Amino acid sequence: MRLLRELSRRKLRTTLTVIGITIGIWALVVFSSMANQINGLVGMGTEFYADKIVVTDGEAFGSSPMRLAAADTIAALDDVAAVEPKIEFLWESDPPVGFATPHLVAGIVPGADAGHETFDLEIATGRTLTTEDEGNVVVLGATVARKHGVVAGDSVEIRGETFEVVGTLQPTLTSPDITGLIPLATAQVIYLDDLPPLVAESLEAGEVVSQIVVYPAEGADFTAVASAIEASVENSATMTGAEFNESVGATTGIFTAVIIGVATVSLFVGGLSVINTMAMSVAERTREIGIKRAIGGSRGRIIRELVAEAAIIGLIGGLVGLALGATVVVVANELGRASGNVLFDLTPATAAFAVGFSTILGMLAGIIPAWTAARLDPVSALRYE
Amino acid sequence: MSLIQGTNLRKTYRLSRRTSVEALRGVDIDIAAGEMVAIMGPSGSGKSTLMHILGLLHAPDRSDGPMPGLRIDGTDAGTLSDRERTQIRARSMGFVFQSFNLVPTLTAAENVALAAEYAGIARGTARTAAREALDSVGLADRAGHRPMELSGGEQQRVAIARALVTDPKLILGDEPTGNLDSTRSAEVLDMLRRFNRERGQTFILVTHDPEVGAACDRIVRMRDGLVVADERVAAVVEVAA
Repeated sequence: MRLLRELSRRKLRTTLTVIGITIGIWALVVFSSMANQINGLVGMGTEFYADKIVVTDGEAFGSSPMRLAAADTIAALDDVAAVEPKIEFLWESDPPVGFATPHLVAGIVPGADAGHETFDLEIATGRTLTTEDEGNVVVLGATVARKHGVVAGDSVEIRGETFEVVGTLQPTLTSPDITGLIPLATAQVIYLDDLPPLVAESLEAGEVVSQIVVYPAEGADFTAVASAIEASVENSATMTGAEFNESVGATTGIFTAVIIGVATVSLFVGGLSVINTMAMSVAERTREIGIKRAIGGSRGRIIRELVAEAAIIGLIGGLVGLALGATVVVVANELGRASGNVLFDLTPATAAFAVGFSTILGMLAGIIPAWTAARLDPVSALRYE
Repeated sequence: MSLIQGTNLRKTYRLSRRTSVEALRGVDIDIAAGEMVAIMGPSGSGKSTLMHILGLLHAPDRSDGPMPGLRIDGTDAGTLSDRERTQIRARSMGFVFQSFNLVPTLTAAENVALAAEYAGIARGTARTAAREALDSVGLADRAGHRPMELSGGEQQRVAIARALVTDPKLILGDEPTGNLDSTRSAEVLDMLRRFNRERGQTFILVTHDPEVGAACDRIVRMRDGLVVADERVAAVVEVAA
């Protein structure tokens, strides 16, 4: 209580300092939430790639077609448990430029993974695709379904064609949410259409896929299987979980470094302003500190009082910054949800870290002025006007 | 019995590299427990410096010649650390300075309780003690007021309550009536006199107000850093008992 009164004695200055810290913590909260979301997605990717090898055309990663026949070649290799040919392409041929991840269409062969896919998709309405499905039918991920406002029984348009929605999925918070699943044969036609004429000319719709997902047998050496695939399928490239982590880990590492950099700069500025505020407050209270020292206040006690004040400034700044950051996160996520644009993930750990960090920052910043105050000669301090 | 024994107390303040001021040039002083002593002299005579040394706010210089010595209540003050001196100030001494010496954000009661807390008294007990101390200076009804809401005389009485709250052996005053008009000044003096008589506490008051000197048992006169006279005040000799 006494501390709050000390702070309220210099309302404007304290408020400005708190605002300085607030901005730093706000930035920390928002950027960390963004990092959490990205790391979450990467984590999902890691999980996705953990039990499989994704085979694509070796020339341009995933963008050139592969032959469906390669699936049979791979299936015949040792230590391959299941093979799932697949086509993935963008929902819109010209997706709008923006922050949002563009929605996808995936042509699949239902059940081709033979139960090896560990990522479970749950049905919200309707049903999943079956091997009997053909033509223009689609099962929509949660985000896509919400964007188009459809449930099973409605229809949506993909690349100018009308598709019957046979089912929608529960949210998974990752890529299935933004994907529409259609039968492989249907996808092959659209995919071939999409290829450059020069490439498409020599191909039949029925023989193209964009990737082949390979599930190695349990206990198999993934690297060995991947090499065997590359050796037996001409011009193929493989991606295993380890390789995925390696290539993505570097990118997220840079991203995390940038975030930490931004947050550090803003908090450094905030910390300096706490030092400034506390130093001025010590100068203003020189006489009072002299009195306290004279009547028996120990140096330790003077330091504790001032450091506690600085900590409170940090704590308030942290709480307000967290509140503002959380508001931005919640509002942005709500606004973005319609377009599948969930950018932030504010975890309790991030929140606790932000508040704890700013409190400690305040304390550390308060130590220097407090130390100066405690070293004052009580007699000169008493005479100070 | 001596409460304070100072011998050859010297203090030189260095103002810059070239200039320094010899504030005390070898003062011997002996103050008995229960005495009420005024230290008087013109500005720059060293009276405040002496009070700061006796109040353990400054240490005397270790100059050449006979070793300076300071014993307070049997303790050799020369060997104390800052922490120990702070603790003695908190527990055995009370200070009354010129006005504006209260913490402005604290109420009268909190100002008084602060001194008790510094002396190691628990917060609850300190609060009770503060109320009693304020009552003894006639300010019980002002306990919740901030210094700004009090008159100069009232502020000084709060300061006296603060000096008395730990029931210290020694109370030091630096111009305790300096900023008060004569009526208020007389009130404050009466109060100090009363505590000296009732509780046997020792008072050392630095002043250039002759009224203050007249109210004391003894006047130590200083000039140019030396004690030039040490006289008993006739009217109040009968006090010591």
